[in-house]
Amino acid sequence: MRRRQADIATDPDAFEAFYRRHVDAITSFLARRVADPNTVADLVAEVFVAVLDSAHTYRPGRGSEIAWLYGVARNTLSAERRRAFKETRLADRISGRRPLDSDDLAELEERIDAESLARRAFEAMAGLPDGDRAMLELVVMDQLSVSEAATALGIRQGAARARLHRARRTLRDVPEMAPFVLEGMR
Amino acid sequence: MNYKEHVLMELKAEIVARNQTRRTRVRRRLFTGVAVAGIAAVAAVAVPFLSGTETPAHAVTRNTDGTITLKINEFRDPAQVEKDLARLGLTADVSYVKPGTRCKPGRGDTSDGPSFSKEELASEDPAIKKRIREAIENSPNGKAFKLGRGEVRIDPRHIKRGQTAVMEFTENEDRTSGPDKPRALWQFGGYLVTGQVAPCKVIDDPSWDKMPDPKTNPEAYPPAGS
Repeated sequence: MRRRQADIATDPDAFEAFYRRHVDAITSFLARRVADPNTVADLVAEVFVAVLDSAHTYRPGRGSEIAWLYGVARNTLSAERRRAFKETRLADRISGRRPLDSDDLAELEERIDAESLARRAFEAMAGLPDGDRAMLELVVMDQLSVSEAATALGIRQGAARARLHRARRTLRDVPEMAPFVLEGMR
Repeated sequence: MNYKEHVLMELKAEIVARNQTRRTRVRRRLFTGVAVAGIAAVAAVAVPFLSGTETPAHAVTRNTDGTITLKINEFRDPAQVEKDLARLGLTADVSYVKPGTRCKPGRGDTSDGPSFSKEELASEDPAIKKRIREAIENSPNGKAFKLGRGEVRIDPRHIKRGQTAVMEFTENEDRTSGPDKPRALWQFGGYLVTGQVAPCKVIDDPSWDKMPDPKTNPEAYPPAGS
């Protein structure tokens, strides 16, 4: 298993299989958080570049591939938001000019539309403490299990549960959260 | 091409490139202590040209498929970029200009690039835009320059004897951008000039503040003979 993951960063075919397995999930993940099709397309590229950089951090024993990948995507997104890394900025400057054809745009816009409720819910969550919000995002919006979300964030399950509980309690009565909090309560 | 396939292609190329660098590093370690000439030969495969104390401003690499990768981290010292490319046998003319400006078009004979009428270039018709994009991609200009992740890949096979690879970079010093602040962060133009290349005469570029039409995004490609 460890071997297979390592191959993703060095074997183009293994990477292609991994990419095809997850590219749609990552696109939706980003469309829940970003409303601009060009930015979503660029971030998809950035996330998979980050996969190459951090493939060695994946430990198959500790959670699913998607949980790990969502963790990578979260880090990429916050790096992008902070723009803390020069390298990221440079890649962005180039990938920011990646051409999208009309089919690409249509597909991305459809996805972004489909996630509009989610993006509104994200705004409602903005006031939560970072850690609590992260748990709520991953479990309620991205449909990870609690243990997967704990993996993505690199925290213990107990801590994850506590954060999730606090976040849900805080946002219990916020209307934007209604479609999500309930779903997550099942 | 579908952007997902485009991204996949770029990333697979990146994996291959990284594998090569890794091999080079291993080889270099193995050959430590061998004759200087031997080391020089290895170094020619991947030579980062250090010009600062921290990250290099730019790096020029010869790839095994004959292409040359130019990675620019900081937009300074274009003359050094030209020198480093010359060492790999490529005649280049590199200019860095400030946002809102560009080099005045008509710096030399660009007849090797595709040409379009003003009406075609201004057209919003997706079919015409597609045709323009394809013509650029299929021209020697388009094949000679490709934008990858954080770098420009130059293919000398599409550059004839007597031609110069002319590259113009524009960088925005304010590097903040995002969904709520869409703006151009940088721009690249690459084209081939046959014979003499006139120096870059900086003129205003009012189109800088306008974001490119994402449908065609022509700035992602070498401008047609401009």
